[in-house]
Amino acid sequence: MAEIARERTMGHHAVGRRLGHLLDGEKIFGYALVAPAVIYILLLVGYPFAIALWFTVSDATVNHPIGPFTGLKNLAFVLDDDVFKRALANTFIFTVVSQALQMVFGTGLAFLLMRRFPGRRLIRGLVMVPFTVPIAIGAMAWNWMLNPTYSVVNWMGTHLGLLVPPGPNWLGEETYAMISIIVVNVWRNLPFSAIVLTAAISAVPQEIVEAANLDGANWWTRWRKIMVPIIAPIIYIAVLFSLVFTFTDMTVVWQLTRGNPVNSTHVIASYAFVTGILSGGLGRGATMSLFLFPVLIVGAIVMLRSLKSRELD
Amino acid sequence: MAAVLAARSHATRHSLAFRLRRVRGNVLFALALVPFVVFAAFPVYWMFVTAFKQVNDLYNLSNNPILFHLAPTMDQVDYLFQKTNYVTWFFNTVEVGAVVVIITVLICVPAAYVLARTRFPGSASLGIGIFLTYLVPPTLLFLPLSQIVVGLGLANTKWALALVYPTFTIPFCMWLMMGFFKNVPREITEAARVDGCSRLGAMIRVVLPVSVPGILTIVIFAFTLVLQEYVYALTFVSSSDEKMITLGVVTDLVRGDVFFWGSLMAGALIVAIPTAVAYNFFMDTFVKGITGGALK
Repeated sequence: MAEIARERTMGHHAVGRRLGHLLDGEKIFGYALVAPAVIYILLLVGYPFAIALWFTVSDATVNHPIGPFTGLKNLAFVLDDDVFKRALANTFIFTVVSQALQMVFGTGLAFLLMRRFPGRRLIRGLVMVPFTVPIAIGAMAWNWMLNPTYSVVNWMGTHLGLLVPPGPNWLGEETYAMISIIVVNVWRNLPFSAIVLTAAISAVPQEIVEAANLDGANWWTRWRKIMVPIIAPIIYIAVLFSLVFTFTDMTVVWQLTRGNPVNSTHVIASYAFVTGILSGGLGRGATMSLFLFPVLIVGAIVMLRSLKSRELD
Repeated sequence: MAAVLAARSHATRHSLAFRLRRVRGNVLFALALVPFVVFAAFPVYWMFVTAFKQVNDLYNLSNNPILFHLAPTMDQVDYLFQKTNYVTWFFNTVEVGAVVVIITVLICVPAAYVLARTRFPGSASLGIGIFLTYLVPPTLLFLPLSQIVVGLGLANTKWALALVYPTFTIPFCMWLMMGFFKNVPREITEAARVDGCSRLGAMIRVVLPVSVPGILTIVIFAFTLVLQEYVYALTFVSSSDEKMITLGVVTDLVRGDVFFWGSLMAGALIVAIPTAVAYNFFMDTFVKGITGGALK
């Protein structure tokens, strides 16, 4: 009785303290504070993913999102679609070629940026620009630079004697359009590769390199036996991110070519957008999007393994 | 005397050869660096030239396109502000950005705190699990989300974006924030606990005040991620007055086959410059975050 009275007089303060006391268990405190994040992600990533899975086996359209169950009909249709097959191949080509170029030029740029020279900060800032500008805007600037009539790339190319006047119709011809998309992808991601490589290389302890020097190791041995093993885990994760983002991106393609000429430059994502949103075929579009998933799984596994191994250290 | 002269000439020859070698090294270095700089920065220069050229100059094929031949003009910028919804897009972006930042901070900070500082069953997997959702791309979820947005009555509004954007700001910012919290010395929380603070009290009164720089960083990141997003914006919003700034610039300044290149590039530049500055400032943190703390 007295207890109740005391609690009443202390009012909400006691409630607060009690809540605080309840939260004081390490477990409850932990779960309570993580819960909002988990719930948000379950509701807006997990739930939509489940719907996406349902879309792939049903005849869902924008007008009838709850369509009848159709089994693997969507999959069969998608696999029979020539544009989709082309988009699938393009996705791999764009991702792999861009990544390879990024790694080669990124390493070069990383070594250049590690040197100390006057104005280094400014140069570094300029080189980083493509990664910092929103990609839709960057791709739009390239679209204008590659304009069939007013292309400044062609103007410079022909004046430097590198291109035969009037220069190619970059975004209007299949091969050139594919080259353009790769170039813009490289433009966008090169700074990221370079900066990760710079950070990774500077993380290598100088003493080890010098010791190897004294032992008479040449630069190739030094690079392969000392640098690569040390920087590999960092590069690994950076490559993973950049692969996943390039693989799943539709912005560059959409801003440059909209998948044209004649649907030859679509990627999985842009064609899924055309099918699912513009044509309203949710089922088919979702089926296409789902082709992105295996790559994500591989990415997630690689990431998990690398994070786990680091925790064991 | 002869000996001195000989010695001196020897010295100059030596330093001359040395200097020549150094000059050659510097020239080669510059030759290697310049193409990278031009490749990276030329598109932005081109945006700038396009935005401020007079139309007669911009579309005159006999001119050298990379220079101004007529006086620079503000016409394209005026058009952008007066004849398009640019100002509305700007405020849409600020509003959506603010909501996303608030949701992100409120959800991330406590979660990151417990995941970084306490151990409870499943804490390690939860942290990694949430971070991995950052790998889930908009292009995988945009179709089901477009229906969810319709179901919630948010179709074709900017608030659809405010709801969905935290799905990628939360994982990333939480991961960054965990890094910050791990660096706050444990002793200060322990001292607070000994002084009678509850766990919650220790977090709010002792750890949060020293983590303000970390929180500011995630605020900036969440905002720039919102500014850069394109796929959800394109998918969920089609009315001009609900658009975000990036989407508005690249869609509304193209009418049919006519591209308003000058205004388009002006609008793009105004978005690009602040983003570039903010990012450059936090580039190293960004890389640290994205490589999952592999870099120390």
